[in-house]
Amino acid sequence: MIALLLDTVTTAAILFAVCAGLLLVFGVMKIINFAHGAFLTVGGYSALAVTQLGLNPWWSLAFAFVIGGLCGMLVERLVVRPLYARPLDAILATWGLGIIIGQIITLVFGRDVKFVESPLSGTVGLLGTTYSQYRLAVVAIAVALAGAMAWALNGTRLGLLTRAVIMNENLAKGLGINSTLVRFFSFSIGAAVAGLAGALITPLSSVDPNMGVPWLINAFMLAMVSGMSLISLAAACLVLGGLQVVVSTYGNPILGGLTIVLVAALVLRIRPQGFARE
Amino acid sequence: MNRTASASPARARPRGDRSAETRWLALCVFAALLLVFVGPYVLPPFMVNTLVRAFFYAAVALTVDILWGYTGILTFGQSAFFGIGAYAAGLVFTHMGFSGANATMALAAAVGGAIIVALVTGWLSFYHGATALYASVVSLVLPIVLTQIIFSGGSFTGSSSGLSGYPSFDLEVETWFWLGGGFLTLVTAAAWIVVRSDFGRLLVAIRENESRCAYLGIDISRIKIALLAALSVIAAAAGFGYAGYSMVVSPELAGFTFGTELVIWVALGGRGTLVGPVLGTLILDVGTAYLSGDLPFVWKLIVGLAFVVVIIALPKGLIPALVDLVSRMRPSRLPTVPRGADLVALDVPTGGRPAGSGSPAVEVSNVVKHFGSLQVLRDISFQASHGELLSLVGPNGAGKTTLMRCLSDGGERSSGQVRINGHDIARRPPHRCVAFGLGRKFQTANTFDTLTVAESLRIARTRLEPPSMRRASGELALPSAALQVVRSTGLDRHLGEQCRYLSHGMKQALELAMVLALEPTVLLLDEPTAGLTKPERTMIGNILVELARDHAMCILLIEHDLDFVRDISSRVIVLHHGAIVLDGSVQEVVDSPLVREIYSGHVAASLGEVAT
Repeated sequence: MIALLLDTVTTAAILFAVCAGLLLVFGVMKIINFAHGAFLTVGGYSALAVTQLGLNPWWSLAFAFVIGGLCGMLVERLVVRPLYARPLDAILATWGLGIIIGQIITLVFGRDVKFVESPLSGTVGLLGTTYSQYRLAVVAIAVALAGAMAWALNGTRLGLLTRAVIMNENLAKGLGINSTLVRFFSFSIGAAVAGLAGALITPLSSVDPNMGVPWLINAFMLAMVSGMSLISLAAACLVLGGLQVVVSTYGNPILGGLTIVLVAALVLRIRPQGFARE
Repeated sequence: MNRTASASPARARPRGDRSAETRWLALCVFAALLLVFVGPYVLPPFMVNTLVRAFFYAAVALTVDILWGYTGILTFGQSAFFGIGAYAAGLVFTHMGFSGANATMALAAAVGGAIIVALVTGWLSFYHGATALYASVVSLVLPIVLTQIIFSGGSFTGSSSGLSGYPSFDLEVETWFWLGGGFLTLVTAAAWIVVRSDFGRLLVAIRENESRCAYLGIDISRIKIALLAALSVIAAAAGFGYAGYSMVVSPELAGFTFGTELVIWVALGGRGTLVGPVLGTLILDVGTAYLSGDLPFVWKLIVGLAFVVVIIALPKGLIPALVDLVSRMRPSRLPTVPRGADLVALDVPTGGRPAGSGSPAVEVSNVVKHFGSLQVLRDISFQASHGELLSLVGPNGAGKTTLMRCLSDGGERSSGQVRINGHDIARRPPHRCVAFGLGRKFQTANTFDTLTVAESLRIARTRLEPPSMRRASGELALPSAALQVVRSTGLDRHLGEQCRYLSHGMKQALELAMVLALEPTVLLLDEPTAGLTKPERTMIGNILVELARDHAMCILLIEHDLDFVRDISSRVIVLHHGAIVLDGSVQEVVDSPLVREIYSGHVAASLGEVAT
């Protein structure tokens, strides 16, 4: 029971980290960023580079954040900005971009599966059970990430402008807010957070050029049901992540892998605002 | 119904066009079939092999083009239906062996399975209020779920390695080439006929302006679901052919990557052109077969780059861009004739009381609307009968437009009851409310950008005259009220013109004519004369008075211009802060000090707004 609870919390934390960047982009730009999966992959390979350089594995988080952010800046400027008026096309273009990034990674690193050194290995005794130290550390990092994003959105001037654009972009523009700049920063930070999340998940699995894709779909669905708020994202991650854990444990793992996608699609059909309040 | 040819000039359109078009299509089909026939004799064997596969892919790409290019539904899920068709063949042939009966059964299973899955997917994706993004996301979920189901099928479905080496049709590769090529040609020709028909125009109208369509009484969800089901059959048939030919099926065929690849082919070939996506698929798939061996990762990188560049710089696609370039260099000898139509008056009684009904036209009781804690409408109750021209006035933010929304969409109000011609609208979506006799004109001119005036008016007749899926009709039958608006505003001289090129006043008039073409008995008009010139306003006003007086139509009108209201209304309701503060004759309202106060307060407030 305790193990199930810990699995739920750690799964939710991972999902939250993976989805947070996507949600930020979705909130500000109203587009689903298909390249998010590629940014996760970029994060994973940044971690791999850190391992190969022989640095302390903790560095991979910062490194992935920076590389992801740089990719985001480039992509926003070159691909997303020209498609501002055509949101469905922007979604498509980001998918094409995902292909490009994936192929470049394949050309540079090869297409085989690689493994990354984990910053923490071993288990720790907790509430009468032993549990993976790293998965617990992921929870702490996800909470810190949520805190940092909440602070950035609610405690800084850029965050205030960002919230204004999220609520009503036209009005914000009318008030003299440079929404182009807000979009640029949001997309870059979203990509940076995606890179961080990619580095975060690699010690739990492995690194390959398509590692981001399976995560992408779950992240989509979570962003869609979450509306625009970090709190409802956390709630959605806990509920759907918990369901996934339960189905995988007591049902079968394949159905478990589909839980989030199917439940989220149904939730949206019945309650279009999803986990958001109104 | 008495049809009288109109005396209106200017839309005389060469009758020969259509038969010329049909001849041209027949010629193209013949040429394509000829190419397919000689193909196996002149092409290298490897290319023949690859092209057979590409023919089946192209048929699926065609379905993506109709959904995305014409109807505006971006879908990543058509691969799922291809996979269903392929696995129906693979599973039956693997586990039951091959025979004519088994093949027929497999095809039936492919088609049946695809239709069922399409209906469920359609129900999930298309409902009143669903966003385009949601439908796209569902189309993503479908192939993912299907692939996982195939993975979990163990030895029955062959899991991740799929099924191979099963017995199949004993046909030469040439025969497959002819079958595949013939199938693709015929499907493309059929699609060509459908998208150029009146029904095809309806698909474009849905893409351009879904809410306008809903308020023209068109059941968009049903059309989209039916369209998806029909196209899923084509995709499944293509999958069936593919599996019969290749004798290999794998989960990737049903997968999300293949689904997005289809979208890429359609985008590169040129969405909304049918021929572009077909050629795009053939060229890209053959190119992949030849080049991916030599340049394994670079080729995919190039396709990805080309895709992104095309989306950003040439959204119409590569083939249309080339065609544009060629036609710019060599001026076309065939000037494109804008599609007009002959106007035909339809002698139906416009509006009026539905026979045998004694109930009031509009009956509103205790309607409340709030957004969260914000009360927008408080306990609104009133009645309006046939023949009344009732104006709703009040300052900005009084709730006038919200009230109209609550009258025409059952999902809008928070509580209370609305009856139209005695029918409780309950929670019904707009198209069902229209069926009760409602017609609504929006505040801002709301038309279909790329459709012509004649096409828009025909879309407005969809509910009463189901559009043909084969022909684009050359006549336009309109009830007399709509015809009167069309003629008196001069729209009849612009029947072949696309709506986006019309002036603002023309757009307003067109939308009014479209709403009148519905033959409504209750007319909701939100500032129908905003932005019009004085003579235009007077003319619209006269038409409205006539509709109410001579055709016993009930008209609810939102207006800011109190002079206009005074001239035409038979009764006035004043809304303020979401409540009715006055309901009476024009004279009562004009003399009321309360109204003057509200309006002067409003004037002061609006001056304040300007100052800040």
